[in-house]
Amino acid sequence: MAHPDGNRADDKAVSIVIDGRQVNARAGETLLQAAERIGVTIPTLCHDERLAPTGACRMCLVESSDSRRMVPACRHPVVDGLVVQTETERVARHRRGLLSLYAADVDVVPGTELQAHIRRYGLDPGLPAANAPRAGRPDDDNRYVLFQPESCIVCARCTRYCDEIEAVSAITLAHRGSQTTIATVDDVSLLDSTCELCGGCIDTCPTGALVERKSAHRQATFPALKPVRTTCNYCGVGCQFDLQVDAAANEVVRVTSPAPGETTNDGNLCVKGRFAYGFIGHPERLTTPLIRDEAGELVATDWDTALDRAAALLQKTAARHGANSLGFISSSRCTNEENYLVQKLSRAAFGTNNCHQCAAT
Amino acid sequence: MTNSIREIRDADCLFIIGSNTTEAHPVLAMEMKRAALRGAKLIVADPRKIWLSGMADHYLQLKPGTDVALLNGMAHVIIAEGLTDSGFITEHTEGFEAVRAQVRDWTPERASAVCGVPADEIRAAARLYATTHRAGIYYTLGITEHTHGTDNVYGLSNLVLMTGHLGRESSGLNPLRGQNNVQGANDAGASPVFYPGYQRVTDPEAQAHFEAAWGVPLDPDPGLNLNEMMKEIRSGGLRGLFVMGEDILMSEPNVSELEKSMPALEALIVQDIFLTLTAERADVVFPASCFAEKEGTFTNSERRVQRVRKAVEPPGQARADWEILLALTERCGYTGNAGMTPPEIYDEMAGLCDKFAGISYARIEAEGGLQWPCPTSDHPGTTYLHSDGPLRGKAQFIPIDYRRSAELPDPDWPMLLSTGRTLYHYNAATQTRREDGVNDKQQTCFVELHPHDGGTLGVTDQQEVTVQTRRGEIVAAVRLTTRVAPGRIWLPMHFSEARANLLTVDDGDGVTGTAEYKVCAARIVC
Repeated sequence: MAHPDGNRADDKAVSIVIDGRQVNARAGETLLQAAERIGVTIPTLCHDERLAPTGACRMCLVESSDSRRMVPACRHPVVDGLVVQTETERVARHRRGLLSLYAADVDVVPGTELQAHIRRYGLDPGLPAANAPRAGRPDDDNRYVLFQPESCIVCARCTRYCDEIEAVSAITLAHRGSQTTIATVDDVSLLDSTCELCGGCIDTCPTGALVERKSAHRQATFPALKPVRTTCNYCGVGCQFDLQVDAAANEVVRVTSPAPGETTNDGNLCVKGRFAYGFIGHPERLTTPLIRDEAGELVATDWDTALDRAAALLQKTAARHGANSLGFISSSRCTNEENYLVQKLSRAAFGTNNCHQCAAT
Repeated sequence: MTNSIREIRDADCLFIIGSNTTEAHPVLAMEMKRAALRGAKLIVADPRKIWLSGMADHYLQLKPGTDVALLNGMAHVIIAEGLTDSGFITEHTEGFEAVRAQVRDWTPERASAVCGVPADEIRAAARLYATTHRAGIYYTLGITEHTHGTDNVYGLSNLVLMTGHLGRESSGLNPLRGQNNVQGANDAGASPVFYPGYQRVTDPEAQAHFEAAWGVPLDPDPGLNLNEMMKEIRSGGLRGLFVMGEDILMSEPNVSELEKSMPALEALIVQDIFLTLTAERADVVFPASCFAEKEGTFTNSERRVQRVRKAVEPPGQARADWEILLALTERCGYTGNAGMTPPEIYDEMAGLCDKFAGISYARIEAEGGLQWPCPTSDHPGTTYLHSDGPLRGKAQFIPIDYRRSAELPDPDWPMLLSTGRTLYHYNAATQTRREDGVNDKQQTCFVELHPHDGGTLGVTDQQEVTVQTRRGEIVAAVRLTTRVAPGRIWLPMHFSEARANLLTVDDGDGVTGTAEYKVCAARIVC
C-alpha cells in the first residue's frame, strides 16, 4: 500500500555481495534486480520484468550463501549480508546441462534468447532429440499470431503476459508433463477467443515459438533486418517501436517493441501498432500528383504542374474573395513540423487564421 | 495530460469517464489494468458497458450527454460531506464559492434523476475519488464530443480542484489524445485562435512576435474553427480549401449537407497517402508520405515530443508532407521557409515558443523524448504539471449547469445514437481497412442494440437493418448486446459504405466547435 509521501513500506536498504562486488539493494528486490543494477547479467528464459517471477525455467540459478542448493535469481529475495556467485563452474555446468535438455526438446530458432544462451554457454552433454512433440493449434486461422509448438519450452511467459498485462487470459497452459502446451479454451482460434491480438505473447517469447504469421517464413532472416526506432502513427499514447526493415526490398517486414522499461510503452504494443502496417507499401498508395483535367477527370501529372495549379487556384480564390475565403485543414496524423508549416502557409503566405487541425471535430 | 502515462500504474484510484480506453488507447489501458490488478480502485463512467467496466469497483452507466449532472452530483457529495481540500482551494484556486452555490441543489437524487446512475453509486464514487490521495481522472471524446463538451471538462476540473488532486504523481486531469499527434498539431499552432505554443492570435504582443519572426503582417482576428469552416462551405463564405491528411467526407458531421456544397468550392487541394473520398473530389491531389517514410516529431498525450524516423522510401513520386508544404508555400509567394529541413523547422518553432524552447532533435536523440514545458536547453522536461500550483496564477472554478443535448429522442426518433472507435480500426480506416488481419475481426459496419429492443423491433442478431436519423441513413448488421442500455444504440465510425457521419448532428460545442458525435436521435427500420 502506498504511503502518502510516495515511499513504499519495504524500502529498507540492505547490502549484499555479488561476484565479489558490494551492492546496495532494497528489501523486496530480487538477486536478479540487484545484479542488473551493477551490470551483472544473469541469463534468464522465463523472466520478464513486467511479470511476477515464477522461477520455472531454472536458467537463472546462482550460488547464494543462504542456500546449499543453487537458487533462482529471478525470485530469490535479497537479504542483508548475502554473498552471491553468478559465474562459478558449478553454475556453468548447470547452464550447459539445462540448455542441453532444452535443445533436445525443441527446435532452436536463430535470433532468440534461447539461441543466444546456447551460443554463450554451450551444450554439454549433447543429447539426442527427445521426440516428445506437443500439440499446436493447426486450425487457428488468425493471421497474426502463429504458435510453433516444436520451439516451445513452456516457460509460460506468453500465458502470464496474457493474464497479467493484457489481462484477457486468452491462452493458457494445458495438459501435463511432456504434453504440456499453450492452448486456448477448447483449442478455438484466437479470433474466437478473448484474445485482442496485441501480440505481446510474440514479443515476450524467448524461443521464437510464437511468431508473427505474416513474416514467419522469414524468421531466419530477422537478425539481418535493420531496426528503425520510431513513434506509432495510431492513437495518442505515442508507443515507440522498431520498424524492422529489409532495406534492399524497401519493405517493413515486421514491427517489434523496445525492451520493457526502455520507453513509455514498457515493451507493450496493441494490435494496430504491432500488426496493422500493411498500408505502408500498399498497392493503392498514391504515387503521382493528380490534377483535374478539362473533362473533369483526375489524371496523373508531374510535381511542377500540380504545385503550380494548386498555388494558382488558392491565389485566385484569395484574390477574388479575400484571404478569409480560404481554409487550411491540417492533420493530427502528420508531424509537428508539418503542422507548423500548414499554419504558416495559412498565416504567412495568405494572411488568414482559418487554419485548424483535423481532430478538432 | 497533466500526468505521465508511467504514473498510472501507481495510482490508487482511477476515474475513467467517456474513455473506452482498452479499445481507443490499448497500451495506456494496460497501465490501468496493471494498477487495478495491484489493488487500485476503478470508477468507470460510460453509457456503454466497456471492457474496463467489468474490472471497475463502481460502474456508472449514465445516460449519454448527462455528464454535467453526474459531475455536479459528485461535487455536491464532496462538498456536503466535507471531503474538499480547503488548503489547496485557498492557496491555488479562485471561484470556489460560485461552484459551491451552483451544486448546492445538485443532490445525488436530483443528479440521479437526470443521469440515471443510482444516487448511492454517485455518493460512493464521489467519496472514493475524494478520499484517495493518488487519484487521477482520465477522459476522452465521450466527454468532449458534445454541445456541452467544454462544460463537461469544467465539471471534471472542478472535482480536481476541490479535492486538490493536482500537481502530484498519479493525480491530475488527463485527456487522452485520440490520434498520434493531436497534441502536437495543437502545440504547433494548427488552430484558428492560437499561434504555435498557445499564443493567442488576438494578443497584439504575440502578433508582433510572429510578424517579426516571419517578416509578414498577420491577421489580428481569430479564424474559423473546423466546424465553422464546414458550415461556411455550405453558405458560400469559404471558397477554397487545402486539406492535409484528413478525409473530411468520412469524418465531418452531417456529411450529406457538406457533400452537396462541395462543388461550390473554387479550389480543393488534398494532400494524402490514399485516394480518399475527399481526394476524389479535389482539383489537385498531392501524393504524400506516411510516418514510416519521413523524418519529424510527434507529441503524445503526455506532452512528450518523440522522433519519427524514415525507414523506407515513399512509393513512386510521393514526397514527404513537409517537402510538399515547403514547395507549395514558396509557390504561393512566401519564401521564408525555403530549403529548411525537419530539425530546422522544429528549431524555428521552438525558438518562438517558451514551452518548447529547450527541445531539439539532438536532445531527443540523446534523451529519448522530452515532455514540455521544457523552456531551456538544460531543463529536464516536465513529467507532471502544476507541481508548484497552476501554471498561470490561480486555477479557476467554473460553475456549470446541465443542458440537454442538441437532439434527443422523441416518439418519431425513439433511439439515442452514439458513435465511436473500435479496437480493430482507426477513424476513417484508410489504413486499417487495408489490413486483412484486423478485417478478420471486423469486416463490416454493425449497430449495437439491446436484446430488449431487438425483441420489440422483431430484429435478430446479425440481421441487416437501416439506421435512420433526420439527416441520413445507413445499413448495418445488428449486434444484440447488453453493452448498450435499452433505448440506445451505438455504431462505429470506420466504414465508408456505412458512414456514421451521415447520421450525426453538426451542432458543435460553443467554445471548441467539436460536434456532438455522441448524441442524436435515431430509429431502426427493418
